Amino acid sequence: MRFTKESAVERAKQDLAKRLGIDESEIKADRAVDREFSDMSLGASAGGEIAAQMLVSGWQIILSAADSEYEYRADKHQLRLHNFKGSNYVIQY
Amino acid sequence: MNRKNIWIHITIATVIITLAAVLGQIRRWENTLSNSSSGERAAAVQASGREMPGSVRDNTPEVSVRFRKGVTLSQIRQIAAANNDRLDDEVESVAGLVFIDDLDNADAESVAAQYAGMKDLVDYAEVNGKVELDDPADSFSTNDLLSRDSTSAQPDDPDFDQQYALSNTGQDGGKKGADIKALDAWQVTQGSDKVVVAVLDSGVDYEHVDLRSNMWMRPDELPAYSDDELGTFNDEFGYNGTDSLSDPMDDNGHGTHCSGIIGAEGNNGEGIAGINWHVSIMPLKFLGRGGFGTTADAIKAINYAIDRKKHGVNIRVINASWGSTQNSKALKDAIAAAGDAGILFVAAAGNNGTDNDKRAHYPSNYDLPNVISVAATDRNDTLASFSNYGLKSVHIAAPGRDIESTWLGNAYRDASGTSMAAPHVAGVAALILSVEPNLSVTELRKRILDSVDKLPALAGKVSSGGRLNAAKAVEK
Repeated sequence: MRFTKESAVERAKQDLAKRLGIDESEIKADRAVDREFSDMSLGASAGGEIAAQMLVSGWQIILSAADSEYEYRADKHQLRLHNFKGSNYVIQY
Repeated sequence: MNRKNIWIHITIATVIITLAAVLGQIRRWENTLSNSSSGERAAAVQASGREMPGSVRDNTPEVSVRFRKGVTLSQIRQIAAANNDRLDDEVESVAGLVFIDDLDNADAESVAAQYAGMKDLVDYAEVNGKVELDDPADSFSTNDLLSRDSTSAQPDDPDFDQQYALSNTGQDGGKKGADIKALDAWQVTQGSDKVVVAVLDSGVDYEHVDLRSNMWMRPDELPAYSDDELGTFNDEFGYNGTDSLSDPMDDNGHGTHCSGIIGAEGNNGEGIAGINWHVSIMPLKFLGRGGFGTTADAIKAINYAIDRKKHGVNIRVINASWGSTQNSKALKDAIAAAGDAGILFVAAAGNNGTDNDKRAHYPSNYDLPNVISVAATDRNDTLASFSNYGLKSVHIAAPGRDIESTWLGNAYRDASGTSMAAPHVAGVAALILSVEPNLSVTELRKRILDSVDKLPALAGKVSSGGRLNAAKAVEK
């Protein structure tokens, strides 16, 4: 699957809804901006993975729900949740 | 030691193993019960129509364990079996190092702790990194060297004028002369296909028109790589640690980019020129399609390279354009073993713009005599803003911003990162070896670091204080 900015936002909202146990309609997409990430894990390596050290272009997606903000990072090939309760997660690649 | 003492030691060891196994098993039963509760919760959530985060796609062995000297493979198998574990693989190049998979659903931390607790038998045990989806749903001939006349040193590759790293004429606003002096180096040598550089990465597009002439292929007389635990590999074109049945074709692009910097065929009227116009590039694939991978797969690939080296393949350099902040003793031991086998290990310093002396990045931070850690510069000979640095832990800088190189499908593209800086150093190492094949790793490393162009921008940032200079490096 190849992500667009829009499809990455939708997938991120689905993930957050399941994760928080709430309806997607309760999640607001605050912003999705172009970003350059430090490596191929989008600067959000999970579970001790090691990543190619090449800068990659993608999107930083900020969602909010219940007065809290959540950061997702995506590029054409993958979607990650950054620093959720102290950990990063690979959502899809 | 007399026979009486031997039996006493064997008896003590047996008691320790049995005790450790029993205690470990009790701990695992506790964890299994805990996991069962989690499973019940998951079932309840599924019944309610929701999905549980944490579905895992993973075939990585859970822990690396290095047993102490004297513990045999047979004993290791017995210990593993007593714990209801499986010996996944032995890392033959590092004595005593194995990968263990547990078979009873215990978490990896518990398994590692259990082995680490066998202090009389085990040096260390650590959890392997995983890639998870978290979805809530010496026979050189002078004939190998090409002509040294100055007119032939300027290659006819059409995109060469974009390769500021090799010859900076001030193109695109750069600083004239801010380059690695490749034209001068090519007066001395343009490389040799007798030198093998292993690219430990996402594979290589070995059919790329600008790389295919410089790809390593397993010689007919060398048997396919076979591992006692993993079976026989399809290694005609190199190694694929993510899938032993497949060859190391690149499905990401990153490894192909690094390879072009090291050795895109030069003066062939196509695309770009590599630092080595002629070289042998061996792909060691362990990064997946996404450009990330596991420590265990990296170790297996290094083990493969060491095995091939011992079977006569002249691997002298491994390029490692990847990393993380995770420290692994097992990875360090594997890299050290590569050094013992005569292989230089060139590693990217990382792209966080931070000081590696304070926040370590691995494998570049391993303090080993065969490791060179590489920071990135730009077309103006300044440290790239993204590049990590470290007066003690980063050794040299090389161009790493806006680097043109090969990409998948006969394409070319610019890319930036210390990923691009490291292969410049690996490439120059190979260039040196084309004229001085008998240099030791220590001599090779020293040559590279002693021949830099010292730059004000790099003072206090890298231990050599300078940027790579290929021309000085190939001078005897």
